[in-house]
Amino acid sequence: MDLADFDRGAVLASFLVESEEGLDAMEQALVQMETNPSDLELLHTIFRVAHSIKGNATSLELPELAGFAHVVEDLLDVFREQQALPGPDVISLLLKAVDELRAMVAAAQSGPVELTQQQHRLRKEIAHEVEKRSKRVVTTNGAREETSSGPKLDTLPNPNHRTLRADVDKLDHMLNLTGEIVIAQGRLRQMIEKLGGEQGRTILEMHREAERLYMDLQSEVMSIRMVPVGPLFRQFVRSVRDLAKTHGKVARLEVTGGDVEVDTTVLEQLKDPLVHLIRNAVDHGLEKPDVREGKGKNACGVIKLSAGHSGGNIVVILQDDGAGFDRQRILEKARRVGLISGKEELREQDIYGLVFQAGFSTAETVTDLSGRGVGLDVVRRNIDNLRGTVEITSTKSKGSTITIRLPLTLAIIEGFSVKVGSEVFIVPLEHVTECTELPAAQSNAGASGILSLRGDPLPYVRLRRTFSLPGEIPNRENIVVVKVNEFCAGIAVDELLGGMQTVVKPLGKAFRSVHGIAGSTVLGDGRVGLILDVPSLLRGVMQSSLQAQA
Amino acid sequence: MGAKSQGKEQLPVNKAQYLTFFTAGEEYAVVIAKVREIIEYDTVTTVPNTPSWISGVTNLRGKVIPVVDLAVKFGMQPSRISKFSCIIVTDVMFQGESITMGVLSDAVSQVIDLAADEIEKTPPFGTRVKNEYLLGMGVMGKKFCLILDIDKVLSADEVLTVTESVEEAGNDSSSDAATKGGPAKPSHFGAGA
Repeated sequence: MDLADFDRGAVLASFLVESEEGLDAMEQALVQMETNPSDLELLHTIFRVAHSIKGNATSLELPELAGFAHVVEDLLDVFREQQALPGPDVISLLLKAVDELRAMVAAAQSGPVELTQQQHRLRKEIAHEVEKRSKRVVTTNGAREETSSGPKLDTLPNPNHRTLRADVDKLDHMLNLTGEIVIAQGRLRQMIEKLGGEQGRTILEMHREAERLYMDLQSEVMSIRMVPVGPLFRQFVRSVRDLAKTHGKVARLEVTGGDVEVDTTVLEQLKDPLVHLIRNAVDHGLEKPDVREGKGKNACGVIKLSAGHSGGNIVVILQDDGAGFDRQRILEKARRVGLISGKEELREQDIYGLVFQAGFSTAETVTDLSGRGVGLDVVRRNIDNLRGTVEITSTKSKGSTITIRLPLTLAIIEGFSVKVGSEVFIVPLEHVTECTELPAAQSNAGASGILSLRGDPLPYVRLRRTFSLPGEIPNRENIVVVKVNEFCAGIAVDELLGGMQTVVKPLGKAFRSVHGIAGSTVLGDGRVGLILDVPSLLRGVMQSSLQAQA
Repeated sequence: MGAKSQGKEQLPVNKAQYLTFFTAGEEYAVVIAKVREIIEYDTVTTVPNTPSWISGVTNLRGKVIPVVDLAVKFGMQPSRISKFSCIIVTDVMFQGESITMGVLSDAVSQVIDLAADEIEKTPPFGTRVKNEYLLGMGVMGKKFCLILDIDKVLSADEVLTVTESVEEAGNDSSSDAATKGGPAKPSHFGAGA
């Protein structure tokens, strides 16, 4: 199998899923149309579905399917031109078409589709309807003009991937259960170890084996949640083309790293920010073909979307070779809307960071730096929610690069557990830079203090005091050095327990806004441990110390 | 209280079952339909910066649920943990959604049937519990039990009000969290203490 074939397989798989979903939406819209005959948006919805099926089928060289979708699209186009919704007769005709399209899409899985007798009849019927309603002549023997190019591909080998769609909630539940099993196993092992004797040893051996199997099961369950970014990225290939076209531009999207896997929840929430950023790149990044040629660039703009791994994170890079962000304009605008006073020295990074501020995309900036009133602040917010970061670098008239870093999963974090009194807290490892002992000479009994870390002063907070935990400060205390946005601080705790994989459990609605706590987890002994929200913890301490000084 | 003024929950017209339990020496009752299960007391992890009547969170088969101490809520000393201590897991309505919460109890007592005529209106004074938290008094022979409006008592809205006010206390110079739903735990975020 050569590369083209392989790629086609991937595109086909994504086409199947997409078309299936599209046809479901089309069906729903048609049904709604009957009860709500004034909503023109419904017509656009079904038109889009027919249109994208046609386009995708053409590029996959499924001429019969493309031809059928084309006729359906023609019929819808007539109504679009007349700004009217079809009557009940046409709606039922279209619903029949949906059924046949569904059958054809399913059949496309095993190779090119031939129309059945019934489908031929239905196509003629639809074509007749189009002619009746417009002067348009419809070719009834397939969209020939679209399929003439290229030799016919051999019949695709039937993809052997057997897949099944599952509810993500169920996966969450499975993950919880496997976590629980590990805890129960741990308790059981302690009991068996106490048993002793020949029999005890045999049972323990058996138990160890079971434990290993459970661990395998847990990592399997986690891997189910990981999905490749490819299908999502490939969706944008077409939208970039179409979007560029409507703006009188030429552009193509190049996707790399499509097989990089990420947690399904992360991918879901990554979609909207990417849509914004890509639209933004086409809309405002890329220049018109003549401008590009004038600058000595290829008339066709190139947007690159890539994914890769970097130190436990996934890095998504969106690169365009357009005009780049205009620094001066960003600064002017930020000054005008009052985001900056104009006096401060801003680093390159901070300037581009301004476009992500809420309020930046208001007023006339909507047309300048973001599309259709959808602000880039939404992008920042979505990525913050994913515990990720986003950065822009840009060179004038060379293009810009947007780098998004995301954790691989939201369900599990690498945590560093510490103990204060009898309570266990987990510090997300991403914030931890090092650990050290708190020298008794530099300790005071207060909620915070300063210690010397290799000669530099390092402020620290004492978790016991900050969280008002009971008990006395022990003689020996330890410091976890954390770093948030270049700011370093220490957290004083009683004991360091070490790193562990932590299954994150939200604290729930009742505790939505507890300061300094990001969530909770169930510890090995079945107790609940709290996960520290380091940025919010430090903010809280800073605020109260400012007030104390005021 | 910030909650939308929902009317008092209606008492069942006919016979209904109630679970009775002891907290701070008093026998309380809740409609059994609200009770999901009763679990043995297991370690409850304190959550900082929350009102003192929230004991913390516990692990219910992998789910982390809040646990409240009614004794503190009703203005008494915190419950002492004994071998009879247990957590009554209830479903509480909050903004149209059901959330699971645990109620710390010194001991569960029994399940009783009470007909409508066995439930008396709460007298205007004499109980240690605010009238708004009560649906009535169940007559059990010579004894009474206080029937709790558990949705009101555990109104998550109140939980939120307090946690938010703790935050406000961090922002403003001071904020009397106590008046907003219970004494807040002392916190070094609050009022620059």
